Amino acid sequence: MLIGAGHREAGGVEPGTDSAVTARAPERAFVPHVKRETAVVVAESLTKRFGQLTAVDNLSFALNPGTITGFLGPNGAGKTTTLRMLLGLAAPTSGRALIFGTAYAQLERPAVRVGAVLEATDFHPGRSGRDHLRTLSRAVELPDARADEALRLVELDSAARRRVKGYSLGMRQRLGLASALLGDPELLVLDEPANGLDPEGVRWLRDFLRAFAAQGRTVLISSHVLAEVAQTVDQVLIINHGRLVTESSLEQLTARIGGSVRVRSPQLPQLADALRQAQIETTPSNDHALLAHGTTSERVGDIAYTAGIPVHELATESSSLEEVFLELTSETQS
Amino acid sequence: MIAQTKAELLKIRSTRTTFGLVLGMIALILLFGLLAGLLTKTPNLLTKDDHRAVLGVGSIAGVFSALVGVLLVTSEYRFGTIRPTFLFTPRRSRVIGAKLAASMLVGVAFGIVGEGIGFGLVYLILKGRGIPFALTGGELTLLLFGTLAGIVLWAAIGAGVAAIVRNQVGTIIGLLAWGFIVENLLFAFVPSIGRLTPGEAQNALTGLTTNHLLSPAAGGATLIAWTAALTLIALALTARRDVN
Repeated sequence: MLIGAGHREAGGVEPGTDSAVTARAPERAFVPHVKRETAVVVAESLTKRFGQLTAVDNLSFALNPGTITGFLGPNGAGKTTTLRMLLGLAAPTSGRALIFGTAYAQLERPAVRVGAVLEATDFHPGRSGRDHLRTLSRAVELPDARADEALRLVELDSAARRRVKGYSLGMRQRLGLASALLGDPELLVLDEPANGLDPEGVRWLRDFLRAFAAQGRTVLISSHVLAEVAQTVDQVLIINHGRLVTESSLEQLTARIGGSVRVRSPQLPQLADALRQAQIETTPSNDHALLAHGTTSERVGDIAYTAGIPVHELATESSSLEEVFLELTSETQS
Repeated sequence: MIAQTKAELLKIRSTRTTFGLVLGMIALILLFGLLAGLLTKTPNLLTKDDHRAVLGVGSIAGVFSALVGVLLVTSEYRFGTIRPTFLFTPRRSRVIGAKLAASMLVGVAFGIVGEGIGFGLVYLILKGRGIPFALTGGELTLLLFGTLAGIVLWAAIGAGVAAIVRNQVGTIIGLLAWGFIVENLLFAFVPSIGRLTPGEAQNALTGLTTNHLLSPAAGGATLIAWTAALTLIALALTARRDVN
């Protein structure tokens, strides 16, 4: 009932008909464990077109309270556009985005429920960090003391009265975070919050977000580098070319790290053919080598021997999380 | 919208730009006041319009109040603060309304300071030169309050045009070119149209009686109509456009 209602605008599909069932099927598969009534963030067939370009393509997902979700994808995958639609800064071409069950722009005083940072550089350089926060807190009738508290939370109180002009990128990231925390929100939405942070800053951010989510609050952070958020998030949404590639828990994703075999040969095309005939998936690697997935070095060596293909190197490699990510995001290239 | 207006007033106060604008305005009014008061020859200071022109030198404050409105809007787009601003107040009409209100409040302050300095200075110079004061009490009231109203409305016009254009340099150059070139050319060559421009409407509002100018009441109404039209366009466009 609820899902059907949300889909009315999705693509001109009549609810209740067979085609509506087919249209929703993949979405159900993406979000089997999230109840829509309790979901903090819901994207329903969210689509954004800029002329010919489809930046976000029929994207659906839902986030449970208390979770930290990594919203991942290469640069240009449509992450920021999606976040802008969630936060009411951009209007979807079709579909809809719900925060706490309603459109962001319809929330009364959204700042006390949602904290968001889209760009780390959104400050007037001539204004002090504290004054920046006060201009925002005044608009939602929060006391100036909240600005000071938020500055303490991000450990920026010593620079509070300095002009932002003199802040490092790390300090600006933290000032942005302070602005998101002004209203003591239940949901944090951060776009590439780790950009420009040094390793110490990344660790600080991780601890901060973990503590935040431990209080039952929800976090959505985007990144184009999985490693940056891998130790922070409990689940990932991976998108590419505006489409959802994977929604899974971090454990499920880690489980996908299988062994692969790196094989170097002067007759790579023939070797690739032979492996393909044996139902083994391959991807090209650098310097006259390829990676054979889901198999063993013995099997690859035997196949090469049978085919009479010389092998110059044969090694088992375990891929990193980052490689899984790259693999996932290259699959949908069409 | 009161909370948002307070926020906008804090934005105006919390950078040095506004301070620079105040200093620039005072310097320019002092300069033009001195030049007009001291260098205008006595035969050119006989008519009421002559007196309106030199005593109303404080109207220069209108340029600066317009700049306050322009900067309050365009600096948000320039530095990206428009994103947090709209995140905190997603009803964008409230943001635009607050920016207009805050600009106009600053316009009142600018107008009082600018006119006080301009009128006071020129009045004293004319008195020192022994030139008899040509305006009646009612005419003086119209000059002072008409000029003040114009200065305040120009703040709103600045904010409105800025919300339509968004680009800072583009808005400033556009407004200066319009105010100092296009309006003057229009009024000189096609006065029946030129008198309907905001600048000439403001001149009419101060009581100036130059040929072809509207009556003070019609001038005031025309200026208000311009402000309202630009505000409506700004509201409609801001509500519709995506923020990058």
